[in-house]
Amino acid sequence: MSATDTVPMAPEGQIASAITDEEVIRLINVNKWYGEFHVLKDVNLSVRRGERIVICGPSGSGKSTLIRCINRLEQHQEGEIIVNGTTLDSNVKNIEAIRSDVGMVFQSFNLFPHLTVLENCTLAPMWVRKRPLDEAADVAMKYLERVRIPEQAHKYPGQLSGGQQQRVAIARSLCMNPNIMLFDEPTSALDPEMISEVLDVMVELAASGMTMLVVTHEMAFARKVADRVIFMDQGEIVEENAPDEFFANPRVDRSRLFLSQILAH
Amino acid sequence: MATDNTQPGQDAAIVFEPKQSRSAPVASVGVIGWLRENLFYSWFSTIVTVVVAWGMFEGAAYLYDWGVTKAVFEAESRRQCLNTSPDGACWAGIIDWMNGFMYGRYPDEEQWRINLGGVLLIAWVLPFWLPNLKGKIGIGMSAVMVYPFLAAYLFLGGERGVFLNLMVFLAITLLVLNWVHVVLFYLTGRTLTENLVRMTGFEHRPETTHKYPMLALVAVVWGCVYAWLGDWQLELVRTNLWGGLFLTIVIAGVAIVSALPGGVALALARRSTMPVIRVFAITFIELFRSVPLITVLFMAVTMMPLFLPEDFQLNKLVQVMIGVCLFAAAYMAEVVRGGLQAIPNGQYEAAKAMGLSYWKMMNLVILPQALKLMIPNIVGNFMGLLKDTTLVSIIGLYDMLNMLKAVGQNPIWIGLHKEPLVFGAAIYFVLCFAMSKYSQRLERTIGQGNTGR
Repeated sequence: MSATDTVPMAPEGQIASAITDEEVIRLINVNKWYGEFHVLKDVNLSVRRGERIVICGPSGSGKSTLIRCINRLEQHQEGEIIVNGTTLDSNVKNIEAIRSDVGMVFQSFNLFPHLTVLENCTLAPMWVRKRPLDEAADVAMKYLERVRIPEQAHKYPGQLSGGQQQRVAIARSLCMNPNIMLFDEPTSALDPEMISEVLDVMVELAASGMTMLVVTHEMAFARKVADRVIFMDQGEIVEENAPDEFFANPRVDRSRLFLSQILAH
Repeated sequence: MATDNTQPGQDAAIVFEPKQSRSAPVASVGVIGWLRENLFYSWFSTIVTVVVAWGMFEGAAYLYDWGVTKAVFEAESRRQCLNTSPDGACWAGIIDWMNGFMYGRYPDEEQWRINLGGVLLIAWVLPFWLPNLKGKIGIGMSAVMVYPFLAAYLFLGGERGVFLNLMVFLAITLLVLNWVHVVLFYLTGRTLTENLVRMTGFEHRPETTHKYPMLALVAVVWGCVYAWLGDWQLELVRTNLWGGLFLTIVIAGVAIVSALPGGVALALARRSTMPVIRVFAITFIELFRSVPLITVLFMAVTMMPLFLPEDFQLNKLVQVMIGVCLFAAAYMAEVVRGGLQAIPNGQYEAAKAMGLSYWKMMNLVILPQALKLMIPNIVGNFMGLLKDTTLVSIIGLYDMLNMLKAVGQNPIWIGLHKEPLVFGAAIYFVLCFAMSKYSQRLERTIGQGNTGR
């Protein structure tokens, strides 16, 4: 387990959960195809406010596609996705409204290289939420402090390391004051010594009660913050379990095989 | 760490002292090094160097001889030129016809209007090069949207309709206000709008009302300008008298200014997911790109009138401009599309994931990055356009090329062909080289701090 044990462990054990009864995301029998390839098969999922879910699985299992359907970066063909009480359909205004309340962090950061760190963080609050510049900049500085890089605010993304860029990306999403955060393999493109600085920030975020869906291979992170672990393979949710149970005693043979493979070395 | 010997039980480590750097051998650096490396590397390259140097010297000496030492600068006619110096250039003809090269057949006593138009344009765009100025977008927009009407009236003259009345005086108003804004900005550090909002006490009202004081000021100044210049009228100069470099720049300028927005619109349409729009854009672009410009020009002049109502006569110059603009937009569309394709998909996704709408995503995230990548191609396109405008001489407009050719047919200067073409080449070279240099500067200044790419 030592290879994936990159979260610098503060006190061992779970972070207190802040789950409420309010349902913020619901997926009902969602199906999606890329051309002829059936990438999501009858996916059902319900996420409550404050819940932290880690989605894992082998590559090509549809886990990224699943969370990208939630803010409609990908379009599902069958089934229903309800986010914050709104059903996702072709209504562009609804989609934009949902996207502004659902933050997303990408594997490749996707910061805007022509804008400074601060401008990256103020762009959406100013143009989507119509906040005045000084107010947006104050909020941005607050979140840049929270991810511990306020001193880089006036640099361009190209001048930062990968770990710093990913922390800026998290701050940029938080500036929109989202109620759900989606993480699509946020540490997969990072050098090993930068993974922990990003995971630290994510652990803090989890502790603050944010609803999070995280696609990741960082099992130590999953063990520490997840309320639920979802294991996917070939477009299906194979197992849904509490993290302790999932790691100690997986119910399905496929998840057992997966765990033995990623935890073996 | 080699000098660290504090650990117990260890002998003193060997002390590492870096060697002093020596200067490089004389033969490998500086002028001598460069010469050896590039010109006299082997016996073969030495021979090539000597031969090429001799050829260049002979060529330059011949040109200097022809163009300067043996040239005639003052003469009444080509005959006199030849009598004075048969092997030299006859620049006297160029000097005599200079007015024609610049203005075509535009009446002498009205040429100040063209010069004034040029001066006004410079006054309009000058604030762009002032440092730290806010509101450059507004100035740019007014230059593109309103100045052309003022220029058109200056060049053409004649009666003003209601619309032209409105636009011409609006142009004067905005030019004045642009400069008021510039002066105020450097005095107070605030834009004209902000100053107005403060003075009128609108600062306590909602932000959406802050534009009203500015609109009121525009209306008042427009009224004053109208009261002052309302009766002002210029003599009509028909477009068939326009010519020379002036006409070249008017056609190329209109094409250049309309090509970029047209190209962006077409490129976005071509990448659209809506089939009707995409098919229209593809058809338009491929049609205009596969047809030579000269064909487009002939079509514009001979075919277009057939599609218009009978009593609706379009001016030949306007027809040509429409043709050149469509052609330029089609070419620009592919340049823009190339730039858009160079932007990684993640940029689109990140912008969308924040809730930006399509147009905000394009204007704030995608196009600023793409346009920077496109600068070399865009300027290359502009240079091509400027030179392509010489084709209008074939359909009977007296652009610069036609005026240059006309010299040799003039009885006084008959047979004078070489010198005008050399002169024309020099003019085009100066214009294109300036554009090229400016684009290189633009690439550097826009790229500042943007080291990630």
